[in-house]
Amino acid sequence: MELSTRKTLDRAFSGTGMFSICLMTASLLVILLPVFAKGIKAFVFRETIENRKMILEQFHRGDSAALDIEWESARTARQPVYDAMQAFRIELDTLEGSRRRELRSSFREVESALQSLLGPEPGSTLSPLLRNRYGQTRWDRAQVKLQQVLFREAWDYSRPGEAGTRQWIPRKQTFAGTRLEPMFDHLETKLDSMLQPRWTFYWRFLSDDSRDSHLFGGIWPEVLGTLYLTIGAMLFAVPMGVIAAIYLTEYARPGRVVQILRTCISTLAGVPSIVFGLFGLAFFINTLQVSSSKSVLAGSMTLALLILPTIIRASEEAILAVPRTYKEAALSLGSGTWNMILTVLLPAALPGILTGIVISMGRAAGETAPIIFTAAVSVGKPLTLLQTLTQPTPALPWNIYNLATEHAAVEEIRHVQFGMVLTLVVMVLILNATAIAIRARIARRMKG
Amino acid sequence: MTSSTLNVARPRITLEAPAAPLPSPVDPGPADAAPETPHVQAEQFSILYGEAMAVREISMVIPDRQVTAIIGPSGCGKSTFLRAINRMNDLIPCCHTTGRLLFDGQDIHSPQIDVISLRKRVGMVFQKPNPFPKSVFDNVAYGPRLFGIRNIRTLTEIVERSLSRAALWDEVKDRLAQNALGLSGGQQQRLCIARALAVEPDVLLMDEPTSALDPKSTARIEDLIAELRGDYTIVIVTHNMQQAARVSDFTAFLYEGVLIEFGQTRKLFTNPHNKQTEDYITGRFG
Amino acid sequence: MPDSRILNVSRDLVLSRRASQIQRLTSLLGRSFLFMVTSVSVLAVLFIIIFITRDAFPFFQIRGFREFFTSTHWFPSGNPPEFGALSIITGSALVAMGAAIVAVPLGVLAAVCLSDVLPFSLRQVAKPIIEILAAIPSVAYGFFALVIFAPALQEHGGIILTVCLWMLALPAALLAATVISDLVVAGIPTSRRPAMRGICWLTLVGGALFALVQGSGHLLDLTISSGTNALNVSIILGIMALPTVVSVSEDALQAVGRDLREGSYALGATRAETLVKTIIPAAASGIAAASILGIMRAVGETMVVWMASGNAAQIPTPWYNLLQPVRTLTATIAGDMGEADHVLGSARYHVLFAMALSLLLFSFGSNFVSEHIGRKFRSRQAGG
Repeated sequence: MELSTRKTLDRAFSGTGMFSICLMTASLLVILLPVFAKGIKAFVFRETIENRKMILEQFHRGDSAALDIEWESARTARQPVYDAMQAFRIELDTLEGSRRRELRSSFREVESALQSLLGPEPGSTLSPLLRNRYGQTRWDRAQVKLQQVLFREAWDYSRPGEAGTRQWIPRKQTFAGTRLEPMFDHLETKLDSMLQPRWTFYWRFLSDDSRDSHLFGGIWPEVLGTLYLTIGAMLFAVPMGVIAAIYLTEYARPGRVVQILRTCISTLAGVPSIVFGLFGLAFFINTLQVSSSKSVLAGSMTLALLILPTIIRASEEAILAVPRTYKEAALSLGSGTWNMILTVLLPAALPGILTGIVISMGRAAGETAPIIFTAAVSVGKPLTLLQTLTQPTPALPWNIYNLATEHAAVEEIRHVQFGMVLTLVVMVLILNATAIAIRARIARRMKG
Repeated sequence: MTSSTLNVARPRITLEAPAAPLPSPVDPGPADAAPETPHVQAEQFSILYGEAMAVREISMVIPDRQVTAIIGPSGCGKSTFLRAINRMNDLIPCCHTTGRLLFDGQDIHSPQIDVISLRKRVGMVFQKPNPFPKSVFDNVAYGPRLFGIRNIRTLTEIVERSLSRAALWDEVKDRLAQNALGLSGGQQQRLCIARALAVEPDVLLMDEPTSALDPKSTARIEDLIAELRGDYTIVIVTHNMQQAARVSDFTAFLYEGVLIEFGQTRKLFTNPHNKQTEDYITGRFG
Repeated sequence: MPDSRILNVSRDLVLSRRASQIQRLTSLLGRSFLFMVTSVSVLAVLFIIIFITRDAFPFFQIRGFREFFTSTHWFPSGNPPEFGALSIITGSALVAMGAAIVAVPLGVLAAVCLSDVLPFSLRQVAKPIIEILAAIPSVAYGFFALVIFAPALQEHGGIILTVCLWMLALPAALLAATVISDLVVAGIPTSRRPAMRGICWLTLVGGALFALVQGSGHLLDLTISSGTNALNVSIILGIMALPTVVSVSEDALQAVGRDLREGSYALGATRAETLVKTIIPAAASGIAAASILGIMRAVGETMVVWMASGNAAQIPTPWYNLLQPVRTLTATIAGDMGEADHVLGSARYHVLFAMALSLLLFSFGSNFVSEHIGRKFRSRQAGG
């Protein structure tokens, strides 16, 4: 081969390597950016007057006097809509048969869309379901709902052999010539003053309970549940992991027993997480009966087993990295082995051990499969410390899955889902950043 | 390993060691009263790594409150022998001993020995300075704390005294709270000496304490050894013959695990009995 | 200075028989305590095997082995129920294969780049990226796959695939053309070489471009009926397996050592030649172990496949058609346990444990293989 070709190949080879790293970075960005961009909308958004009303009534926060004034002006803006509807109801009865039937069903759609946009009509009975008591709390969702009031969705199947295409038919056409017709224009132009949107920073998204299965409110039970599970898992796994690492590095003589121990640890690291979940169900709950059914305790134990190998490995590495001379110095001063481990070895290995702990905390916080059968429920109240021994809890990872796939109104609460993903990802990223920072400090200290 | 030289050498030591008991040196020195049992004494003492013999049937008496240097080419077993005196070899698996190594008349390797109090009385300074990654104060106070001293005033007193003994007090008295790893190499080594002195040992073992230091720091450590002689029994392993000649009162020459010659430093360097010693000292090998 | 002693330790050098016995006993107790805590992982592995097998066994007792492994009819709630898991096992295998296709080449290349190509400062930037990729919870990946990637694939699948094709195939084609034309002209007299080379190169590139345009035409016409399919899951699982593959193969590459590299450079080899001909073969077993670990992660992953694979228990037609939805073992366990829980003791409950047992055996097997390979690699490094 010619030299120039060899050089081209060499460059191309380096290029492919770079390309793969760039691709990795790009995929990271592609995954994280939407999560951040959309997740932030759970915290920062334009709230409508309905949201302020809901917060005041449900969470008892906000200025009720100011709200009354705003509410008054919103009601004035809404009045023409209700007037038009009332007028149309009367008009409807005067229409002839076929047109009446046609318009009646269409009017029902308008009524329900309007109710979901602006909340219940004044004077109607209060529904027990929270979602029927308030209109749209978010301006972006209100826009979508407005679309549903103004247009009718229809599918065009006119072209045979192809999938139907979606069409939006203006309802104004349907109701042309009736007394309802002006309402559509009024709604479109005056929606602003009817809902009075305003930018808000809803940081209490993290600390509010959810209402009516996450249609309103925040994600506190999930955050708390995740914290409980993570900390619980660490309580079991950290002492066990560090002790095992001490045994493996300081006490064990190389031989068959250590070989078996090591094989088992790496095997444990390879067990699929869903199998841990089944095992937790079969062992901790059905056999040991640490709790009668799912509980935070059982979930923590299952998670602890899952992260045990990580902690053992990290601690072992950290302990092995401590210079042998420290040990010798301590022993030569008359320290016993245990004393040496506690006063010299562990303090010197602590940053390394902490790195491992912090990273496995991130792992425990994000794992879903092991807690499905052992700890997680879809809806629940925040638990007290004592309840964690017996009660299941909602948790971020599980509820992300749950809300994204099994919720009745998946589309309506996208912002909650994204907000949860963002919270979870940020939690994990903070933990990892801590680990990276600790490691950088170790590296600096080793140099200095 | 050439077994022929060993076979020649071995009978000579076993003859020589009992023939020249050296508990009372010719030069009385600053030692006021020699104790009745010598502190460290080896009797037909061997160390084995598995099958391989690192130290062969050494018999010697290390004189009290004097500096004894052990010299010899690398791999001759001098460090191994030194580490046996406070049982640091326990850390190495498959290392065992035969014969007797006595401290205060007790066999160091007997299972009845309390390793902790042995090591308290036999301190050690290592090849590379190895202060803990703690403050200067905590480094020196580490030992006393192990033995239950919690009173801060007592600790301060011990720390000051040990650091002064190690000729380091003036340099670090304002930085007692700083991390010991920030000191220079020579200072670190003197700190390690201070740390060893803080538990008030009888014997101080030094395993090539200056091999990692620059000449200036080496000189300071050597001065320090000269100051400490008389208060402590010091055993120093060195591959540097000039150093042995400078700091020690007695010198032992080890070759391939065998004690070839042991005597007063002046005599050994000026008029060695043994051909191998002479070859080594004159730099023909090693 | 015995006169000025502060440290008055009254400990005797020699312990009494009793004291030494007590000391030995405490040390023994301490050791056994440590050993017991350490063996928790052994117990965990043992108990996992025992408990999963115990609950899997009844299934095989009731239904036998044959149906589970050979039938593709999966109707656990049907009347009569059918428990053919072949299509589900195939689904797992298919998805894992797809993930391996994404993760292994990319991961190995990235590892090579990290260990031998990138300067130190850039490496410090790239490492955290890999760590973050590894740290993102699987449910977040699953959410991305379901909510963002699946709709994108469904609506613009053709375009996405075309762009990918061009990005990968065009540089590869240019390179191949260069090399082939180089080889073709090797036997021709020197004076005519450049011209011949040019002609040859242009022909090859033209052909490749034609093929690419044809191919992308087909791809653009492609309609993807559902974004939640095997392709989606394969790509996401591939990204998730990347960090494992990268870090383990990088370790293997680093372990090869400087001597071998310097030897090769000294003979005039370029970096690419050194790596391809010397270093990568030397690290091959380590890289193989890395790939196995990556595949293990893909097979064992639950949330992504549960959320975004479509969960249809079928073998795609043809079997390699990644654009169809599939169902995997892990997703089946996660999804069906909620319903099967009520019928404790039925075949429907135990079949899930049978699936877990298959997963477990697979993970043990591949763990064993990767450990074995890794050990061989390490001992060779140490020995040579």
